[in-house]
Amino acid sequence: MVEITLYNYEMDEGSYRVRLLLSMLGLAHKTVAVDMFPGKEESKPAMLALNPLGTMPVLTDGDLVLHGTEAILAYLAKAYDPARCWLPEEAASFGLTTMWLHFSATALAPAVAARLQSLFDTPSDEAVLQASARKAFRIMDDHMTLRHFDGFEWFVGDGPTLADLTLFPSFALSRDYGVGHDDYPALRRWLRRFRTIDGFRTMPGIPDYH
Amino acid sequence: MKLEAGWVPVALSASIEPGTSAGAVVEGSEIVVWRDNSGNAHVWEDRCPHRGMRLSFGFVRGDHIACLYHGWQYDIAGQCRYIPAHPSLEVPQTIKVPTYSAKERYGIIWATTAGEVSLPDIEVATGVTPVRSLYVERGADDVFAALTKAGTGDLIGNVGLLQAGDDRLLLAVQVVSPEKTAVHVLILGSPAVNAGAKQKHYAQWAEGLRFDLEQMAEVA
Repeated sequence: MVEITLYNYEMDEGSYRVRLLLSMLGLAHKTVAVDMFPGKEESKPAMLALNPLGTMPVLTDGDLVLHGTEAILAYLAKAYDPARCWLPEEAASFGLTTMWLHFSATALAPAVAARLQSLFDTPSDEAVLQASARKAFRIMDDHMTLRHFDGFEWFVGDGPTLADLTLFPSFALSRDYGVGHDDYPALRRWLRRFRTIDGFRTMPGIPDYH
Repeated sequence: MKLEAGWVPVALSASIEPGTSAGAVVEGSEIVVWRDNSGNAHVWEDRCPHRGMRLSFGFVRGDHIACLYHGWQYDIAGQCRYIPAHPSLEVPQTIKVPTYSAKERYGIIWATTAGEVSLPDIEVATGVTPVRSLYVERGADDVFAALTKAGTGDLIGNVGLLQAGDDRLLLAVQVVSPEKTAVHVLILGSPAVNAGAKQKHYAQWAEGLRFDLEQMAEVA
């Protein structure tokens, strides 16, 4: 039987994005634990055979092997979301959704790096990364402020898409690297909306409110 | 203005939904602003007496706020009422979070530690429409100067009114730190008239104000 396999590291933000979508789509899958810290398994031969870039996560579905978080998310939505909610068909919404996927891969890269620096002491300039993360969050907060006045609570269209899903973890985890939520009222509001989506799950650093 | 000097605007009322909390900073003092499920707003020192965790990271349950670390729950008077690790314990009266006076007026949550102070009197018979809280990486002096230059008159302490075409904006300033200032922006008049396009217009105006102020910081 063909089976989806996620090569996963529990503390990795990209892996969490994929876990979120798998859960929200209700997809059965297998996970293989990859020890990124301190094992660096993602950059050793077994994993390099799947992804020569040595990045995480990696997803396989039958013979298909994918790396790059945004590509994996887009594939899963295309393959397993027949309602086309997560990756909209309509051209403008599709364009906007992929724009935010691009944003998460580029503008939020410093946020991901800042968190790794804080948790695992990877080499980088903390102040520069924090400033870049704040700049990205401000762009997101300004966007969601205006969206609210247009009567929408999601980044694109009138329901959650991959745009929301890919942006959520960096902001939700920002306290891991010393960036608080005080200055982003519109993102706080959106965060609460996102947590109520069916299939939502947490990870270390994103608390379960019990 | 410090919390002990008078009423400080700490959030737009609309930004703190029932059953939620947020952190804020007033001249270096960390505070938690939270709203219970009955709709009442509270402002406290942002510190759980147990391990010093910021309570704004926690969560609201009914009329209690709970700390994220170990779930200690506090009632609206700041009194600890429940410690999950010791469920049958009668919690000692000494475990209490310092609370501040909080008041909601003009669509803003205000806080102070001063005893007898009054809020500026503003005519809002037709109501107010919230726009946004703007966080600017600039000191308060520069922000006040920019607001005055933009035509803001009647600056009473930390509050000013700005005539913008036919609209009047209410601008309330919160000093976060020497390098950072928040401006809470509202439109005087009912949301029935101002909701939507006008809110968007003034949110974008506020972004422009922030850009100009921070641009000034870069060239200075």
